[in-house]
Amino acid sequence: MPAPRTIFLVDDDKDFLEMERSILASQGYTVACFTDPRAALAALRAGAPQDGPALVITDLMMKELDAGFSFARAVKSEPGLAGVPVIIVSAVASQRGFDFRPRTQADLAAMHADAWFDKPVAPDALLARVKELMR
Amino acid sequence: MNTPGLPPVTGSTPARILVVDDELGVREGCRKILAAEGYEVVTAGDGKAGLEQFLERGPFAVLLVDLLMPRMSGLELIREARQRDADILPIIITAHATIDTAVEGTRQGAYSYIPKPFTPDELLLSIKNGLERRALSLEARRLREERERRMLELASERSRSTTIISALTDGILVINSERLVVLRNNAAARFLPDCAGREIPFPLDALSSPDVREIVDVVLRAPAGYMILSKQIPLGQSTYMVNVSPVIEPDGATSGAVAVFSDVTELKKLDTAKSMFVSMVAHEVKSPLAATEGWLNLVLSGMLKHDAAEEHRMIERALVRVRTLRGMVNELLSLTAIQTGNFTLKRVAVDAAAVAAEAVESSREKAAERNIEVAVDREDPGPLSLLADRDALAIIYGNLVENAVKYSRDGGHVRVHVRRDGMYATLRVADDGIGISADDCQRVFEEFYRVRGEHTAGIPGTGLGLSLVKRLAELHEGTVSVTSTLGQGSEFTVRIPISAHPA
Repeated sequence: MPAPRTIFLVDDDKDFLEMERSILASQGYTVACFTDPRAALAALRAGAPQDGPALVITDLMMKELDAGFSFARAVKSEPGLAGVPVIIVSAVASQRGFDFRPRTQADLAAMHADAWFDKPVAPDALLARVKELMR
Repeated sequence: MNTPGLPPVTGSTPARILVVDDELGVREGCRKILAAEGYEVVTAGDGKAGLEQFLERGPFAVLLVDLLMPRMSGLELIREARQRDADILPIIITAHATIDTAVEGTRQGAYSYIPKPFTPDELLLSIKNGLERRALSLEARRLREERERRMLELASERSRSTTIISALTDGILVINSERLVVLRNNAAARFLPDCAGREIPFPLDALSSPDVREIVDVVLRAPAGYMILSKQIPLGQSTYMVNVSPVIEPDGATSGAVAVFSDVTELKKLDTAKSMFVSMVAHEVKSPLAATEGWLNLVLSGMLKHDAAEEHRMIERALVRVRTLRGMVNELLSLTAIQTGNFTLKRVAVDAAAVAAEAVESSREKAAERNIEVAVDREDPGPLSLLADRDALAIIYGNLVENAVKYSRDGGHVRVHVRRDGMYATLRVADDGIGISADDCQRVFEEFYRVRGEHTAGIPGTGLGLSLVKRLAELHEGTVSVTSTLGQGSEFTVRIPISAHPA
């Protein structure tokens, strides 16, 4: 059995950070929490690729409107991290008349994401998707 | 002597006649004849007396005057009278009728000439003809004067229209069918700098905005039928709503276009503020709701193996978010009430020091979590009484202290000073936190404005707190201000008058 790899959680709202950590930790996952996507990216780069992360879960609206998108793009364009699955979890699927919610696989790919959840994410649904993506 | 069909009076009042003759018999004879016909008659015995009567009892329609009289001749009297009243109708009565005197009399303005002796009918006929002639000439003059007055009014009407058009706050351009701008008012010259210095008419193409040229051209080229084109056009720093309508001739042809420019820059700003509000609600309402739902879901999921302490902690976290939400809704409602004028202050004697102490107390828990020290400085312990709305004062002080804690760094310091400052109760809240840039200092009291930056990300807030503080302070005739250095901390000062109505 391979060593458990870490799930990186990024959200500037500590409530979501903690509740998602609780959900994942209750199933035995190792979770690293970040409120700042830049700190998360630095940690990801430092750890890549050998003990690299298994998965990244990020909020969308943090410092800037598209902080989550920028972060996802940065992860996917990092040579050692390109294969790491990214899940976007957001409370605000639309802003200023724009609807961000992806409808197709192509939408998801354009967001550099592998899955999308609206907040609050249902524990079962999140766990099922995490399990599938980490396989 | 009854002459039917000869109206003795002009208009509704009887014509007034001055009879001047040195012969009593002629005077009284004339009076009887004329009075019997309904005329109002005044008599005088010589020219001087006649002039006196003329001056004292005038105006008269007819001056019936003898030529040869002591003291002042009839001709002299006629001249004097006509100088003062050009409309008076002088009629000469004389026994010494000669062609020369008749000519002289006419030259002096006499209308007619009745040789003595005369019959009552001769007198009445002469008077009646004279009055008719006078009425005609008066009517002609009235018409002439009215025409002149109308001309004057028309001229002043034109200048009034010009004044109104040039003073309108909306910009106006009139373009003829040859695409020449034939009129532009002051506002248009202000809105469209490239037409300001130009002599009228000038070609439409002199305007640099392609949008303006385009909608004018569309209207000019449009087929018959009424059409107004409206478009929002940005020009420089401002946005204008431009409405262009055709000038239609009676035959249906379009002979030009009128473009009206309204400055909608402020409306656009309001529109942006509205979008910001929607955006704020989306994020600031949805986040605490989602967090609350998330925590409750987690408790109900049974994933925590029913660890009571853990469940309790999660429900508390949910409660904190719900309270934040309720606070936000309350702030929104208060702000709306103030804006619509439905917020009334209930002024009572309040101890500002006690309200400040409560504000500090309720921020203690949050401060303690992040190891922030909150201290109250008081030179003069004891109550600081003022007339104020207690709830409003609690919102003002509470927001300022809460903000100081919120925007402090972990382990920071917040100092709260309360003191009497002349006629004011002054609260100063100083922190050594992240600070506010000079630009942001100007805007922090605006509704929905939130400082965006590295250190403020993730700090929840509606952007309403400080605008509410400002409005509530102003309702008390007070002020709120801020001084700050980015990275070193901020100091907010709110001053509320001790008494709303100084003795």
